[in-house]
Amino acid sequence: MFANVSALDGSLYFTISLFFVLASFAGYFIFLFTGNKTISRISFGILIAGFIIQTAGFVIRWIYAYKIGIDTPPLVDLYDSMVFFAYVIILGFILIRIFYDFDALGFIITLVASLALAFASFSPLAPSAIEPTIPALQSYWLLYHIVALFLSYGAFGASFGLGILYLIKSGKSNKKQGRFLTLLPSSNIIEEAIYKVIVFGLVFLTAGIVIGAAWADSAWGGYWSWDPKETWSLITFLTYMLFIHARFTKGWGGKKMAWIAVIGFVVVIFCYLGVDLIIPGLHSYATPGSAPLL
Amino acid sequence: MIMTMLSKLNKFLSSVKLAIFLFIAIAVFAMVGTFINQGDTISRYKSIFGSQTYHVLYWLGFLNIYDSWYFIGLAVLLIINLIMASVNILPRTLKAVFGPYPSFKAMMDKKNPKAVYEVIESKKNIEEIKKTLNKKFGKPFTEKGNKDGANIELYYSKNAIFRFSPFIAHFSVIIIIIGVMLNFRYGFRSYTNIKVGEKTNVSYLLKNQKPIKLPFIIRLDKYETKYYPDGIPKSYISKISIIKKRTHTNVLTKNVMVNHPLTYDGITIYQASYGQYKPTKVIVRILVLNLKEPKFRKYVYAETGKAYPAGIDNLNFRFIPYKNPKRDEIPFYLKILKANKKNGTVKTILFHVLPDKNLKEQIVFAKYKHAAFIYSGIDKVKTYYYSGVEISKNTYVSIVWIGSIILVISMFFSFFFNHEEVWGSLTNLEDEKKVRVEILAIPKKKFESFYRNFSKKIEIIKKELKLK
Ligand code: HEM
Repeated sequence: MFANVSALDGSLYFTISLFFVLASFAGYFIFLFTGNKTISRISFGILIAGFIIQTAGFVIRWIYAYKIGIDTPPLVDLYDSMVFFAYVIILGFILIRIFYDFDALGFIITLVASLALAFASFSPLAPSAIEPTIPALQSYWLLYHIVALFLSYGAFGASFGLGILYLIKSGKSNKKQGRFLTLLPSSNIIEEAIYKVIVFGLVFLTAGIVIGAAWADSAWGGYWSWDPKETWSLITFLTYMLFIHARFTKGWGGKKMAWIAVIGFVVVIFCYLGVDLIIPGLHSYATPGSAPLL
Repeated sequence: MIMTMLSKLNKFLSSVKLAIFLFIAIAVFAMVGTFINQGDTISRYKSIFGSQTYHVLYWLGFLNIYDSWYFIGLAVLLIINLIMASVNILPRTLKAVFGPYPSFKAMMDKKNPKAVYEVIESKKNIEEIKKTLNKKFGKPFTEKGNKDGANIELYYSKNAIFRFSPFIAHFSVIIIIIGVMLNFRYGFRSYTNIKVGEKTNVSYLLKNQKPIKLPFIIRLDKYETKYYPDGIPKSYISKISIIKKRTHTNVLTKNVMVNHPLTYDGITIYQASYGQYKPTKVIVRILVLNLKEPKFRKYVYAETGKAYPAGIDNLNFRFIPYKNPKRDEIPFYLKILKANKKNGTVKTILFHVLPDKNLKEQIVFAKYKHAAFIYSGIDKVKTYYYSGVEISKNTYVSIVWIGSIILVISMFFSFFFNHEEVWGSLTNLEDEKKVRVEILAIPKKKFESFYRNFSKKIEIIKKELKLK
């Protein structure tokens, strides 16, 4: 079977962390039906262990990339980007969990993170070998651009999870709520969390788009080219702007807002993956040896 | 009649509903643009869609959607919407920050659905009660009492200044859109391919392939692709010179690479692509030597008929083949010209074979004063490159950056710093020897955490006021 398990380039550590995250997911899943606090605490501990392993993986991978003479951070190909996404979304959950009593969110976050890590570790589409950076991406802007956008994607991923929880919770009357639903925080708390997480993501999305524009201005003929990825990032921005402003109009209750949070993340995923796979553009990365994709 | 119509129009143009419609409409048209390739040539479109569909798409403006009148119209409408909404909100915002602040009674009468209201009766005296409240809500912003001192109104306000944040966020969006539109109006983005050694001042607009004249001439001196050891390209380097139009003087020469463009006179040249081509004309390799300076040597790849500088004494030379060469004769000759004279041939010189038996190959040379020209063959090995460069004039860019920075900062403050207002009313109930304490709070955002914190505070206040 195809698998990314090289200790040298750090991918082994991400594959190991996948099993931690999966174990954590299993724990959170059991927690949903039993409500056993000890289990959720253990799951959280396992998740933190996985997170630490990933952190180590990143350090090793960056040092390795630096050693083989690549001075831009290894963040650009599909493998790195999936791994980083999982990392950020787990970080987001850990932060939320520290400030709020939000164990029920754990199972969605660990599920999404496991999927991303499993794809990175086992899909032949995402080899972990570090390729030299193509000329278009050799820039200091790259790091800031990607980190800002991934923080926002992570936050939007969390808001997606929260939106789903909200919809599940509000879909049933209070009496019918089973064990799982009574474990969830109240709808109002979820609603507030959705807003706060989205707003956090939106600040970083905006910053990421602006940084990208500044980069494009210094590299690609102008700050905005209506390239598909750029355009979809604007569409993502508008979707969440709609979320922010819909609250000021009458008749937009929590349920509609939760739907926007869910749909918003679908737009994010399309912007992140769909654009590369379906529409060619500046941001879909070059096959080696071809002319720069500008 | 007119007034009601104007007020209706105002209401529509400043409504958040219009904003929501605009967000959706702009997103949908932007989406269309990502599925249909923008700014291609007509023939490509016809081959992709067929002639009929092409005409429909063209008529809809879908082939250049981001420049279409309705897309720009939506942006203008967004600006109007933002301005109208801001103008309508401004008085309220100013009042919230600078006063006059609404009274307790006025706020009670509003019956805001977000409001929380508590009544506590206390036997403590007014000063003590005030102390307790201040401990929880901060220093009162204003304090008003009526004449007999039977009633006191307190107003607490925290973070009022951040009421301006959404206002500034909207203003920065206007700045950005205006900057983008000015660039759209006065800037351009174009593309041109130049062969190594050639110059041009014509470039083709990206949006419609129309040619434009640049205010200077660019020459591609050299093109090179550098590779990593495993053959993956590391950098694409075009050595480009800018030449003044009038004087034909070289202004500057720079290596242009991806991520490292060249800017001159407000116009920026970016490395975009490269390619190879086969020369259509015969190219001759000539080695120029200076007989007075043994170190001097210069290779020239000469197209027949064209003049090239020899690099010696301001001489130019031109390589010319005979139309009907005789047998046993070298079939080409050179014309020597002075660089400062126009078209004036100074001398025609012939090529000879160097009479040296020891040499393996013949040396074919011509000589003019101390300049020697050695023929070294028709060029076949050399690869001929052209470089594709994007030539753009981006104007008013700093406006966009300033707007963007303000936007990000003001968004941060809009989201994370909320105005907190609390109204208190203390009424002396003389006959019962009690004070009625009323507390009203209205959050800017209807957050669960606000209500929790508020009820926690009330619990503590209640405890303290009921003591004794
Ligand atoms: C892309 C453009 C826009 C951006 C970036 C933007 C940004 C913002 C932000 C950051 C807030 C604060 C939200 C919060 O605190 O939760 C806000 C509030 C608001 N926006 Fe916008 N907005 C935009 C377009 C519009 C438009 C077109 C309208 C037209 C009606 C509008 C009307 C409002 C209103 C009425 C508020 C509430 C203001 C307040 O609470 O004082 N916005 N906007």
